[in-house]
Amino acid sequence: MTLQFSLHQQIGQLTLNQPPSNTMTMAFFKEFRVMMHDIATTKGLKAIIISGNGRHYSSGADINELLANVDHRTMLENYRAFVMLEQLKIPVISAIRGVCLGSAFELALFSHFRLCSADAVLGLPESTYNLMPGIGGIQRVASLAGKANAISMILRGVTFSADDALGMGLVDAIVPKDKLLDLAIDFANRLPTNILKIDRAACIYKYLKPLQANG
Amino acid sequence: MNSSEPVIFEMLDSIGVICLNDPPANELAIPDFITLTQLKRWLETPGLKGLIIKGEGKNFSAGGNLDAVFKNSNHPETLKTLMHDGVKLLNYIQDLDIPVIAAINRICFGGGLEIALACHIRVASENALLAFPESNHNLMPGMGGTFRLPVCTGFARSAKMILGGDTVNAADAKEMGIVDFIAPKDQAFEYALTLMRKMTLDRPVKVIRSIMQALKNASDLPQEEAMGEETRLFCSLAVDEAERRKTEEA
Repeated sequence: MTLQFSLHQQIGQLTLNQPPSNTMTMAFFKEFRVMMHDIATTKGLKAIIISGNGRHYSSGADINELLANVDHRTMLENYRAFVMLEQLKIPVISAIRGVCLGSAFELALFSHFRLCSADAVLGLPESTYNLMPGIGGIQRVASLAGKANAISMILRGVTFSADDALGMGLVDAIVPKDKLLDLAIDFANRLPTNILKIDRAACIYKYLKPLQANG
Repeated sequence: MNSSEPVIFEMLDSIGVICLNDPPANELAIPDFITLTQLKRWLETPGLKGLIIKGEGKNFSAGGNLDAVFKNSNHPETLKTLMHDGVKLLNYIQDLDIPVIAAINRICFGGGLEIALACHIRVASENALLAFPESNHNLMPGMGGTFRLPVCTGFARSAKMILGGDTVNAADAKEMGIVDFIAPKDQAFEYALTLMRKMTLDRPVKVIRSIMQALKNASDLPQEEAMGEETRLFCSLAVDEAERRKTEEA
């Protein structure tokens, strides 16, 4: 399986599982779509944490495979699955280490919170392949980091550091790499379980800052 | 540039540069500093990938010529038409599907700031000064500044800046979200040009237009429609790229 789900004390851990780079292949997206329907109907979940198996979150889509199989309907289904994730009533947290590029960064942007390690490398490099971010990354970067940052970053197709991402508001906290997953779980346990009642900024201030201080 | 035209257009590679050309203050004789027809003609330049708006000489622009405004105050209909044309022009610039950067050195007041706020990205030199001084003359910003400024910096700070006629320096403007990038002293244009080259030089026009369109759709269309449109734009680029790679291999 290119995607693993495990449940620990009502917290669902979703692991992108095609190490080393956890490439998001068509097989991955298919599993992800099914997984979203399962998660949406699972009772008693408190939160979801998304991370990558090994050193990286994910390098994003497999460009060659994607170009050989351009299909509007599948793309739109993938997009809808990302939106489903965002519309879950429980908090979704992406725990990011290593590379988090393209579709993978888009997946992280559909999470409600983003924690990352200092060595994380993020970005939407699609334009350097004569493409564009196709699953909502453009508008989410614009709403978090502003239109000017979105335009300059996406047209240049640059990657950037965790520090820069934090400065632009694209991630919520930088935490030590070896504690990334533990802190994400700790954070998830402190969060209210109903995301609809959550004030993002207040939660970051109230629950995430103290964790960083202790970390 | 020493033409006597009040606004000059020239191409640098694939980048169009619009230069407000009435130094030293680059005052805007009428609210619509160029006509929409003129702009559209420039935009037809083949291969155009982005626009930079700058001022000739030391300053960006000190804004509208108040004499012209007051001269027309006896002809309210004329003034209204002029202002309306100005608003239409700036809305058109804001909605363009190629990136537009304002390169702001030193003075950027009133109508100058209105133009800058309609651009997608604002680069200001560290010695730039921004203001809406209209209220000092018992007027108000009349070309969209009253709704564009709050998008950048919120209602409260906009109200203070516009009612107070405050002059804001580059560092504060960056902090407030009114400018996006700070360039060294008097180097706004050089900085803007470097940034624009990185954004556009190696990119096909269609990639640029698709990305800008998706960004615009995000604020203009309902989510479901924007999603469908984004997927369509993406697939069209992917088909082109797959085709290009095949041709390259052959």
